Parts: sequence; structure tokens; C-alpha cells
Amino acid sequence: MTDPGAALDPERVERILASFAPARDRLQVAVIDTTGRPIGGSSASGPGDDPAREPKLVRDITCAGGIVGHVVASGPAIDDPAVVSALDAVAAGLGELAEADYRSLASELAQARLAQRSFVSLRAPAVPGYDLASHYEAAREIGGDFFELFTVQHPRRPVGVVIADVTGKGIGAGMLMAFARPVIHAALENSPGPAEALERTNRILVDEIRSGLFITAIAGVLDPATGRLRMANAGHEPPLIVPGDGGPIGAVEGGGVLLGAFRTLDAPELDVELRPGDTLVLYTDGVTDAVATSGERFGEPRLLTTIAAARGGSAHDIVAAVRDAVTVFRGSASPADDITIVAIGRRRP
Amino acid sequence: MALQTTVERVAARVPVTVMALDGELDASNFERLIEDVRGLYAAGDRTLLLDLSGLTFMASSGLVALHAIVLVMHGQRPPDLEGGWSAFHALTDAVEGSERQTEVQLCGAQAPVTRVLERTGLDRLFVSHPDRASAIAAI
Repeated sequence: MTDPGAALDPERVERILASFAPARDRLQVAVIDTTGRPIGGSSASGPGDDPAREPKLVRDITCAGGIVGHVVASGPAIDDPAVVSALDAVAAGLGELAEADYRSLASELAQARLAQRSFVSLRAPAVPGYDLASHYEAAREIGGDFFELFTVQHPRRPVGVVIADVTGKGIGAGMLMAFARPVIHAALENSPGPAEALERTNRILVDEIRSGLFITAIAGVLDPATGRLRMANAGHEPPLIVPGDGGPIGAVEGGGVLLGAFRTLDAPELDVELRPGDTLVLYTDGVTDAVATSGERFGEPRLLTTIAAARGGSAHDIVAAVRDAVTVFRGSASPADDITIVAIGRRRP
Repeated sequence: MALQTTVERVAARVPVTVMALDGELDASNFERLIEDVRGLYAAGDRTLLLDLSGLTFMASSGLVALHAIVLVMHGQRPPDLEGGWSAFHALTDAVEGSERQTEVQLCGAQAPVTRVLERTGLDRLFVSHPDRASAIAAI
């Protein structure tokens, strides 16, 4: 392929937009090329309905250093910053896929995996007094794990923490992940707390996005000065706290239903304090569900034993220990599901 | 970690199709399970009791399967098609209005499976019975 513009494949555009199938009365989305010609998305059912004709929001799709098209949207839902962020992700994703095409990668799977990799957070901010560590490993088929550690735009500079897992697999799961990640991020930036952020994310998934998949997620906000960690859990494996004083490793129980299924989550806020020496460990079910060649599952007891053996070290040590234990346990079996481990340790003074 | 399914038709107050799941329900077999239930619905089965007493493990893809099975038994296309999602919302709305669907019911769920259902809230979708006999008596 020599023309980057030709990399914006109409079939793929339709498929990706269809996988979000937004509620048409709230949000209309289309993709147009640089001349304004529609490539896919909402078609005009009335003069005011066509985002390609009267866009309220335009996002560039870039490929090979140039603009090859635009994501255009209209409708009341675009006033929501979370929806705007998600549309940014769609534009970025289409650009990634076009780029992969342009560079002639062999299979669509390889392209989608490449795009997904770029969506999974691999950089953590530096937080004085804390160690932040993570490990992410993609499954042979596209899974839907994602996590993010970021500094929230707030005078106290709290740290936002998100870990999530889209149920199901394949390109649909990967794209829903790409969509949901900025939605949760923006919700966490714009909500009074993590429980409200997940509630808001759920509302967007239920009202605006008609995917058939679910997401389990934990969102949290850490105040580095005090160690106060506020979290909310939507159907995800409970967070683990490894106390620095040698006390038993504890799961922080309590949560609401998973995202995208019911109209309300009813997720309580989980308020814990990370004291100096304490470590928070988050993981996805790819860890506990990992299968050995014998058919045995890694399981929660083995996870706790592994963490216990590594405690006393840094957050990186704990993440590395779990990663290695799962790899050894799995042996020659290839990972059936994405694996994500995140740890945040508060250093001793 | 294979999954075996056994189907038996029982005459209760209404004809009940009992499907026993034995083994592990995970990403490698959840699609086949949905297909099997689609076959049952096509054959005219309308009340499905899933006997989970032999199910030792359920991954999150099992949740997708259970959700899809509810849709199939309500005559809907399974998810990722346009109709599926709104149909599911209609079902969950009914759940929130405390009118639970009864076309698909569960029995005999063991702790590892119950834990996943409760943690994710999908237990709200189902009437659950302790074992097959009490389920059939109740249906």
C-alpha cells in the first residue's frame, strides 16, 4: 500500500463504529475522509442528524505522519467530557490500525494487538515516597485487560489508579477496552470520588454504548501525602493489601456489579490507608485463572503464597515474583487470557 | 479442564430442560455452550435449568455465556448484535423491578461459581436453587 489515505478501510470503520453502536438520539458518529466524503458511520436520517454535514466535534485520524480522515460527531452526548475522550480514542485507534495496514502487517489480529498494546498503560508517573510497578502480558487472542496509573489534575496531585478487564475476547473486547479506558480516566478526573466515577462510566456504557460485553474494574485515588486510598470496585477481583508490619495479607472486600450490565452499580467507596511499608496489589483474573499443562489453575491461594514470599521487597519485587510464578506454573502452555499485575508500595521514611 | 454437558428433559408443571455442566467453563468452551443452548431453543425447549453441581470453575467468559443463554432462551439473538443489548437492558430493568426472568434458572452452584456470580452481580439475573430436585419441584 503506497497511499496512507487508502489505509482507512471502510469495512473496518463500519465494524468499529458498529461495535459501539451509539444510541442514535444521543450521539451520532461518522468517519469522513479529508475531502469530507463519508467513509462510515451514522447516515443522515434527517438534515440535523448527519454529523458529517454538521459536526459539533471533529477529531483527526493520522497515519504515517499525515491526516487521512476525521471522526465527526454530533448530538447531546458530546457535551460529556468522557464521551469526548472516548471519541479521541476511536480516532487514535483508527489511526493506529491504518498505520499498521500501511506498514503492511500480516494479519488483522496482529494489527489489532498492536493497537491494543498502545492503549495499555506502560508508563507510570513518578510519585515521591511510593513505588509503582506493573506487568502486562497479552494473550494469544486479543484480551481486554487495561490499567492506568496517572496524576489527577488536582492541587493535591493525587494518583489515579485503574485496573479493568473486558469479559470476552477478540477485536470487540479490544475495542471496548480502547473505548472504556479514557471514559474511566475522564470520569475519575471529573468526579468527586472513585465510586461516582465508576457509576458515571457505567451510565455511559449502558446509555450510549450498546456493546454486548461487560467490564470489571477497580478505580482508585491515592493521596500521596497521607496515604489515603479511596477505591471502588465494579465486579473485579478484590484489591490486596500487604501490610508492612508483617500482618496478614488482606483482601479489601466490597463492591458493586460489573460495568455495562445494570443501570446502577451501587459500589460502595472503599477507604483504606497505605501506611509506610504497605503495598497495594491489583490483578486481573488472567493471573488466578492461568492454567498449567496439567490443567490445574494458578488460583488465589498460590497468588497469596507468592506475594507472601516476596513481601518485604519493593512493589517491583512483588510484581516480578507474581509474573515469574505464573510463567513457571504455566510452563509451555500459552497464555489464554491477558495478565495484569499492578502494585503500589509506600516507602518507609 | 474440558466441559461436558448432559441434557435431560423432565416433566414438571411445565416441561423443563435440565442441562448439567461438568468441568470448567472458560474462554475455550463458552461459545460452544451458547451454541448448544441455541440448538435447544431451536428444538422447542423453553425452560432451561442449568445444573451447576459439577461445575468446578467459571471464568469471566462464563458470565458472557450465561448472559447470552438468557438472551437465547428469550428468543433474542445473543450479544454483539444490535437487538441483544436493548433486550438485555429490558431484562435487567425487569430484574431491578424485582421481576426476575424464569426461563433460565440455576441449581447446585458450588462455592467457586457462586463467588464469581455474586462478585459481578449477575446472580441477580437468576433464580437459584440448592439442587436439582428442589428446582424441579419449584418450577
